[in-house]
Amino acid sequence: MNSFVVAAPNKCIGCRTCEVACVVAHSSKNMFTSTQREIEFNPRLSVIKTAAVSAPIQCRHCENAPCANACSEGCIVNTEGVIYINQRTCIGCKTCIVACPFGAIDMVSCSEDGEKKQQTGLKCDDSGKLCIKEKMVANKCDLCLGRQGGPACMEVCPTDALRIVNSDGIAGATREKRRRSVSGLSCYRVN
Amino acid sequence: MAGLAQSLGNGAMSNSIPEIENADLLLIFGYNGADSHPIVARRIIKAKEKGAKVIVVDPRITESVRIADLWLPLKGGTNMALVNACGNVLINEALYDKEYVSKYTEGLEEYKTAVAKYTPEYAETITGVKADDIRKAMREYAGAKNAMILYGMGVCQFSQAVDVVRGLASLVLLTGNLGRANVGIGPVRGQNNVQGTCDMGTLPDVFPGYQAVTDAKARRKFEKAWGVKLSGRIGYKLTEIPHLVLHKDKVKAYYIMGEDPVQSDPNAGEVREVLDKMELVIVQDIFMNKTALHADVILPATSWGEHEGVYSSADRGFQRFKKAVEPKGECKPDWQIICEIATAMGYEMKYKDTEEIWDEMRGLCPSFAGASYQRLDELGSIQWPCPTEEHTGTPYLYEGNQFSTPNGKGQLFACDWRPPLELADEEFPLSLSTVREVGHYSVRTMTGNCRALQQLADEPGYVQLSVEDAEELNIKDQELIRISSRRGSVMARALVTERVKKGATYMTYQWWIGACNELTSDHVDPITKTPEFKYCAVKVERIKDQAWAEQHVRDEYDKLRKQMGVNTLLSRDKE
Repeated sequence: MNSFVVAAPNKCIGCRTCEVACVVAHSSKNMFTSTQREIEFNPRLSVIKTAAVSAPIQCRHCENAPCANACSEGCIVNTEGVIYINQRTCIGCKTCIVACPFGAIDMVSCSEDGEKKQQTGLKCDDSGKLCIKEKMVANKCDLCLGRQGGPACMEVCPTDALRIVNSDGIAGATREKRRRSVSGLSCYRVN
Repeated sequence: MAGLAQSLGNGAMSNSIPEIENADLLLIFGYNGADSHPIVARRIIKAKEKGAKVIVVDPRITESVRIADLWLPLKGGTNMALVNACGNVLINEALYDKEYVSKYTEGLEEYKTAVAKYTPEYAETITGVKADDIRKAMREYAGAKNAMILYGMGVCQFSQAVDVVRGLASLVLLTGNLGRANVGIGPVRGQNNVQGTCDMGTLPDVFPGYQAVTDAKARRKFEKAWGVKLSGRIGYKLTEIPHLVLHKDKVKAYYIMGEDPVQSDPNAGEVREVLDKMELVIVQDIFMNKTALHADVILPATSWGEHEGVYSSADRGFQRFKKAVEPKGECKPDWQIICEIATAMGYEMKYKDTEEIWDEMRGLCPSFAGASYQRLDELGSIQWPCPTEEHTGTPYLYEGNQFSTPNGKGQLFACDWRPPLELADEEFPLSLSTVREVGHYSVRTMTGNCRALQQLADEPGYVQLSVEDAEELNIKDQELIRISSRRGSVMARALVTERVKKGATYMTYQWWIGACNELTSDHVDPITKTPEFKYCAVKVERIKDQAWAEQHVRDEYDKLRKQMGVNTLLSRDKE
């Protein structure tokens, strides 16, 4: 079963530290010491605030992932319990964004080693002049695949509002809920 | 500061921030911890998890409101009416602690008279808060074993601020929630080390350690230590300066350290006029800012990572901090700059290091005397009063309910509510209140130069407004809009939110383009002279040509950056 990170809205204070941690975890360079004026800043989770709730929204890593089913290029795959977008082969068709029921996917400009990538062939027409076009790809939570210590957002949350839901956790919680339910049956008699 | 000092004798938090977690009830009044101090907000969440009741008084839905058991959504500018009604309920329902009040406080009869007319029903007509909710809040507050009040700038930044603080302190006194752990009243300061600068005597009426300049004995002590004659006259308050310069021609020079009044003080247009009229303006800061554009001399100072010293936290805790990196270029620590200026002016001021300064200071301030560098290192933090080096500090004040007022008694106080000085009208139909936003600190001199935080929220900044008002004005979320008051007009981005009530708007004060202090009013509290940041009248207009507006914002920002030489700074960084 795939895992996912989810926030408890009664603990989230909307501070967006998770967004910054996400960017830091996915940056090829150390953005705190880099001297570049522009940095890649594409958090893979977004803190949303409504009247009743504050919480980050991020990918649920659906078992039958609609984004993957919609991808014509087969760029979205299930690997190590993560629904993963291969940005190298992504053509930027945006179908996954349309298909995702959670709003967990964004289009971002594609960078490799801190350098912005260009489209391989496609150029922009700027009043008759052909100019380079930035490569844009789909971007979403990858549960910090390969990062020691797991998802960075969970690690930094000041109120411990974020937790990972995985098969072990679900199994334990379900066992506990069933135990509680069965004790509720003690007063139930059938004549 | 002033309000609590009159009621209890001391202007600081009565109890400690960690104690928040152990309170049985938190009454949060005009304080949005999640945006101002996430680390304090974490304690509020913990308290709630441990079973504390949370009551929040705020016109806006804040993160604390979301987790509150009871929310009193008062109309902006009606604090005093609500606080009086709270007192009215405590008296009329006999919820107050009679024994405590008679033993440790004074002024009950006058207090009763002053709050008599503020029945919850009467207060409802002013504040919009349901009478029954006011009653419920006070029954819960008085019934809790250990209840704590936290308040913030939503109380202090009104023209009727001191009265409200004294009113809140009276609720604490009436219920006997003082003199022990996990209770009390906490003004949660706007900024890091506000408490520290007050401790060190940057107020116009005290020397370090809250020793009055009018006290001849204290004056003689400092005169002897420093070898100079000291004035016994109380100085001017910051917000009085514009009037004194523009209309009285009294103040000629301004030495501004680590502050950006053009950005942070109300009515920015007038602040600029003041700076330009002064004969000499010195700005000492770590980066260029709007105030420095009006300076005759700019002194580059070191940042917090480049020097060492001691901070005071909001709950009176001294904490030592050490240098992380060596300063670059011509900048120097503030204390060295001050020493050099004093010496150049004929008073030889020389210190080996900050410890020598600290030791001199604690030698002159009995309540700080025991907090040596060595003890600070051993204990991590020491909360004053700490009279001797054997003392481990004071987590909560007023042990034995002995207050620091002249006669040792807590002073009950109430007075009539006064409406804010500028109210919404036909031409300016909305109210504007200035607030915080979590990603940026104060005037953004520091966080505006941090790339990650810049990305979270950037120029021109935001105007929070209600869904209803946005609909009426035909404004969409994230569109650029124009917001104007009698004093000025700026462009900013609309943040349409369900958390704001119709008729109210909110802006954070750190933006260069969407600078809300171009709009705010310079009306001040008659005692503390704190400006009425939390209330003025504005109008909001839609901008039809969004593409033009976006370009205009970019051009204005670039112009400012050029004026400040910010680009040069970045290119120098690259070398």
